Amino acid sequence: MSRKLSGFKAWVVQRVSAIYMGIYLVYVLQHFILVPPVTYQDLTMWLASPVVIISMALFFLLLLLHAWIGVRDVVIDYVHHLGLRLAVLALIAVLLVGCGFSVLRSLILVAT
Amino acid sequence: MKFSIYRYDPESDESPRMVDYELESIPRGMMLLGALLELKKQDETLSFRRSCGEGVCGSDGMNVNGKNRLACLTPVEGLAEPIMLRPLPGLPVIRDLIIDMSQFYRQYRAVKPWLVNNDPEPEYERLQSPQDRDKLDGLYECILCACCSTSCPSFWWNPDKFLGPAALLQANRYIQDSRDQATDERLDALEDPYKLFRCHTIMNCVDVCPKDLNPTAAIGHIKQMMLKRSV
Repeated sequence: MSRKLSGFKAWVVQRVSAIYMGIYLVYVLQHFILVPPVTYQDLTMWLASPVVIISMALFFLLLLLHAWIGVRDVVIDYVHHLGLRLAVLALIAVLLVGCGFSVLRSLILVAT
Repeated sequence: MKFSIYRYDPESDESPRMVDYELESIPRGMMLLGALLELKKQDETLSFRRSCGEGVCGSDGMNVNGKNRLACLTPVEGLAEPIMLRPLPGLPVIRDLIIDMSQFYRQYRAVKPWLVNNDPEPEYERLQSPQDRDKLDGLYECILCACCSTSCPSFWWNPDKFLGPAALLQANRYIQDSRDQATDERLDALEDPYKLFRCHTIMNCVDVCPKDLNPTAAIGHIKQMMLKRSV
C-alpha cells in the first residue's frame, strides 16, 4: 500500500487536502454564522445547490484520504511486523471506506 | 561536582548500570570532556570516544542530562547535578559511552555523499559562482557526530530505512550543489515512504545540533525541489 501511495505523492495529497479542508471549514463556518438555516428545509435547500453538495462531497473525500495518509504514517512508524501491519491497515481501510459510504448515503438522502 | 555515568560492557555485564562519580574541584571554563578525562584518571576502565577536543571531529557525542551534545563543547558549569551521561540513544552500545555507528554511516553512504559530474575534468577546478557557493552554507559544516540522527524518534523506530537528519542534510548538500549533475537521481532515490518521508518535522535535530545547523530546513528544501520538478 505504501508503494502505491509513495512517500512524495502521499505528502502532496496530505498538504493539498489540508489546504482545501482549511478553506472549506472557514466557508462552512461563515455560512452557518452569517446565514444560519432556521428549518430543516433551509438546510436541504442550501445542500441542493450542486456547488455546495459537490464541494462538501470533495471535503469528505479529502478528509478520508488525509486521515488514511496520517494513520498510515503512524502505522509505518510503529507497526513493523508484516502480518500485524497488514491487519491494522486493512482494519483502518475498512473503517474509512465505511465512513465514506455512510457520508455518501447521508449526502444523497439530504440532497434528494 | 557529581556525575552519574552509564556503564556497560556487553561481554561481562548482564545489564547496563549508572555509576556515580565525583570531582572535587572544577576549574573555571572546564568542558565536559575535560571532566571526563579527569574521571578517567580515577577509573581507567571508563570508556568514551574523543579526538580533537574542539568540536571539529565529532567523536564525543553523548547524551548529557537527556540532551545529545558534544562533550568538548559543553561547559560543565551550569549543568544540573548529578550530571547524567549516557551514550547517544538508538544505536547499539559497544561499551560505556561508545556506540556502534555502523548504521549511521551506512545511511550516510546511501545518499552518495560525493559530487557526481560526468563532464570532462577541467584543467584547474570546477568553478562555481559565489551565489551558488553560498547555497552550501549551513550544509557542508556537518561533522557527522550523530547527535541529530540519534535524537530523532523516526530514526529510532526505522534506523535501517529512514536515512536520518544527518544523511538528509548531506543529501541536500549535493542536491543544492551547482556542480552536481545527479539531482534527479538523488531526488528519485528519496521519493519512497521511508528514506525522507519518515521525517515528521519535530525538529529534535535542530534542537541538538552542536554546529547550529538545520537539518529540518534541509529536508524542507528537498521536498520543495521534488515539488518544483513535478509541477
